[in-house]
Amino acid sequence: MDRQTVISAKHLKKAFGEGESLQVIYSDLNIDIYKGDFTVIMGSSGAGKSTLMYSLSGMDKPDGGEIHFDGTDITKLNNDRLAVFRRKQCGFVFQQIYLIDKMNLMDNVIAAGVLTSKDREDIKNRAKELFSLVNIPEKTWRKTSSQISGGEAQRAGIVRAVINNPNVLFADEPTGALNSANSGAVLDVFTSLHKKGQSIVMVTHDKKSALRGNRIIYIKDGKIFGECDLGNFEQDNMERTEKLDKFIKEMGW
Amino acid sequence: MKKISTLMLHNLKKAKGQYISFGVFICLTAFIINIALVLAFQTFNAYDSLFDKLDTADINFIIPELQDNKTLFAEMEEIDGVSFVEKHGGVFMPVTVREFAGSDFDMNTVFYNLDEERTLNLLDVTEYSGMNDGSVYIPMYMKELGGFAEDGSIAYSIDGKEHTYNIGGIVLEMQYGNYGTGMIGGYFPKAVYEDFASEYSDDVIAEYSLKTTGTADLNEIKNTISEILREKGIALLNINDRDTSKQTRTMVCTLLIVIFLALAAIILAVSIFLSNFRIRSAIEDELAQMGVLKALGYTSNMIIASAVMPYILVGIASTVIGIVLSYAVLPFVAGILAIQSGFSYTPAFDIMAMLIVILTLTLVISLFSYISAGKIHKLEPINAIRGITGSESAGQNILLFIVSFGIMVLLSFAGTLLYNVNVKPDNFMNTLSEELPSVIFTAEDGKMTELKEFLDNDSRVRLFMEYASVPVSYEDGSLTAFVCEDFSKTTNDICYEGHSPVKDNEIAVGNAISDGYPIGNEIELTVGNKSANYIVTGYIQSVNNAGSVCQLTSEGYEKIGETTNSVNVYLYNKNADEFINEYEENHDAIIKSSVNFEQMSENGRRMYTGIVSVIVMILFVISVLMVLLVMYVIINGVISRRRQEFGIYKAIGYTNRQLTVKTAFSFVPVVAVASITSVIAGLWYLPAINNTIFSLIGAIKNHFEVSVWIMIVFAILFIVVAFVISILLSAPVKKITAYSLLKE
Repeated sequence: MDRQTVISAKHLKKAFGEGESLQVIYSDLNIDIYKGDFTVIMGSSGAGKSTLMYSLSGMDKPDGGEIHFDGTDITKLNNDRLAVFRRKQCGFVFQQIYLIDKMNLMDNVIAAGVLTSKDREDIKNRAKELFSLVNIPEKTWRKTSSQISGGEAQRAGIVRAVINNPNVLFADEPTGALNSANSGAVLDVFTSLHKKGQSIVMVTHDKKSALRGNRIIYIKDGKIFGECDLGNFEQDNMERTEKLDKFIKEMGW
Repeated sequence: MKKISTLMLHNLKKAKGQYISFGVFICLTAFIINIALVLAFQTFNAYDSLFDKLDTADINFIIPELQDNKTLFAEMEEIDGVSFVEKHGGVFMPVTVREFAGSDFDMNTVFYNLDEERTLNLLDVTEYSGMNDGSVYIPMYMKELGGFAEDGSIAYSIDGKEHTYNIGGIVLEMQYGNYGTGMIGGYFPKAVYEDFASEYSDDVIAEYSLKTTGTADLNEIKNTISEILREKGIALLNINDRDTSKQTRTMVCTLLIVIFLALAAIILAVSIFLSNFRIRSAIEDELAQMGVLKALGYTSNMIIASAVMPYILVGIASTVIGIVLSYAVLPFVAGILAIQSGFSYTPAFDIMAMLIVILTLTLVISLFSYISAGKIHKLEPINAIRGITGSESAGQNILLFIVSFGIMVLLSFAGTLLYNVNVKPDNFMNTLSEELPSVIFTAEDGKMTELKEFLDNDSRVRLFMEYASVPVSYEDGSLTAFVCEDFSKTTNDICYEGHSPVKDNEIAVGNAISDGYPIGNEIELTVGNKSANYIVTGYIQSVNNAGSVCQLTSEGYEKIGETTNSVNVYLYNKNADEFINEYEENHDAIIKSSVNFEQMSENGRRMYTGIVSVIVMILFVISVLMVLLVMYVIINGVISRRRQEFGIYKAIGYTNRQLTVKTAFSFVPVVAVASITSVIAGLWYLPAINNTIFSLIGAIKNHFEVSVWIMIVFAILFIVVAFVISILLSAPVKKITAYSLLKE
């Protein structure tokens, strides 16, 4: 079956610092992200996983190369056009969650929703649907991030990220700051969204999180060091777990 | 706009306290600017419209009735630029008003017949008691400053005889009006006037009131009048004109407007620093959130707008509130001005002032908030999320330093004003006037030498000199010439550039004509049919005569005029009244008239002290309010940013009191450094501020002393007040617990 490419990055270059402190993250990286895939980017600390993800999503500019996102070379866009591009094409889930403090969960979602829709009621209705999808009860919608658990906050963060039906949902270590129970609940939301056809790109170094993806990309030495097709996630799928274990072992994890 | 409304409302709700404090500042700024603008727009207009309403003459002069002649009226009508002439009767004399604001008050007074038919110089009896028999109607100035009420009585001492009258009412007139104009009026009902005029028949005068065409040069007309009278040998007892009276009567108003605008500028500057600090702090504190907003698809402009719009909205709302509040205070301010101006009006709503205040403040707030928030443009979303700002911190200490310095400027100015009006009143009075002798004697013709001999041998006399004010003409009009035998003896050096005349061919000219007569050039003066050229040696100032003045030596003046016969007497002690009585009793044959100038200066000083006290009180209140609000913004920010640190301190055993004092003390060094810097810099900037403010009313050179001790006392007071306020505002530290931080 032919897979539709959503993001196609060619000859990406990225480095930090200059002179003796120059640190090259990647010098000629090529990667394609496919529609409907749950792509997981893995790699050791400092390998450039997050940097790659933020470049692909237009949050950060590469030093060179091209990134074609849904046909548009986003490296050519200025900051304002990038902002408009992000609001229509991307959703973001962060490790530290970053809900706007002192703003309740519903308003956090609306603050993102108003960027693509003028119909506030429509935004609210979609938000309500998504809140029930991620199991956040109505009584919690009016609470602020400091009044709820980390898991609830991250699930609200996911609602905010998908309220505008993004082409791709980007997640940077979304369970990194959560305990095991909350992590499971958050990952279930990702799985559920993936099943509904949502394209997801997730950076993680957590094996349990990686198992939720269907395509694993391993970054090493500034290159795509390896790639593994896990197939879709099913509960208690020992075969996928073993496949992932074998893959990351091969990658030198 | 709709897209950012959620964010904007969130920003507003999140930092309510910060916006309230900002709003209070803007409210205060709008309040003060609106007062200044309404005064500027309406006081002068109110003056003009009252002047027109009462058909006040543009020039009034008085001569002894005995010297009046039938042709004079026609000659006045024929003067180029004169459109209408009317003659009034009156009785002119120096009088002492008893119990004027608690003491005697000497003033040249013209008593008029209230019931005389007149079309010029109409009188508006604003408060009428109905007591017509044996009554006098007094000008508003006497009521406002003198403290006389319409149902009370007033006693005049004329030539040693006491006259007590019921006060029939208060008269609003635009001819004289206040101490600065040198003359005031008194108004008798017909029967009382006739009795009075027959008792003082030698002092009956004829008053000529002249209305001029719009383009007429008043100085030129005054000059012509002087010449006509001189040719006819008629004594000119007094001449006044529209422009000089207006400037004199609105002087304090002008001063107040300038001070208010300067004050508003300082408060506005503090508000801008405050909003700048607040926005920059918000960017620092909410860096990650701004990164997230960019990630969500908010453009930099949208984020900036959401940060700036609340300031603009709060600014507009506060401006409107400030404007509305100012109208509650304006009648009170206008009332204070009435004390000096001698006329009152009710300030009305002024749409032009309102629009200027709203537009100016909105523009300034928008501009500076946008500049402060401009940093958001450069913020890369990923760097923001990772906490990389690429710039320095918000500069809390810089803000505190600037605000403390600004407040100290206000306090130092207030202190200097207070010191020079209350402790060293001569400094203030010398700035606004010329010589301030204790007594002015006018000698009988040919008796000056004899009078000076008596004075020379009188141990009570500290200094005396021949000094007179006489009218002279020059090519563009008339000037008041201060004629003195030796200007090096004068006690108030009003020469602000060059030097006073020393030789008989030298002259120092007033600031009103200084541009046309550079130092070293010549000016021709005329008195009657005599003229002489004088070399300009310097420039002098005169607030009361609007700068149309000059200085001549006695010898210099005698080249064109008669020998003057006035002498200024300066006493060691304040006993001018007793001194005058004794001289008038013992040397009656050599003294023609005497003026208790000490009393007149005291009356003037008392009036200015009242006004300055109000200004100083306003400055104090504003300073304390500013300290309170700025400390609130800063301490609030500190407590919010250092919650964790305070929690840890508490966990290791620090008490609330220790942390509160520690927090409050952390601001002391900056406040102290700013205060000390301000005291040192004050030696330079205070004279500059005083020069700027007073030069606007014609006092190019002011005699204010900058007292370092007053500034040091104020600096210490300021540091103590700032510390106490900090202690009070640091109280929320108590609410922070280590446990609550763990929970967060």
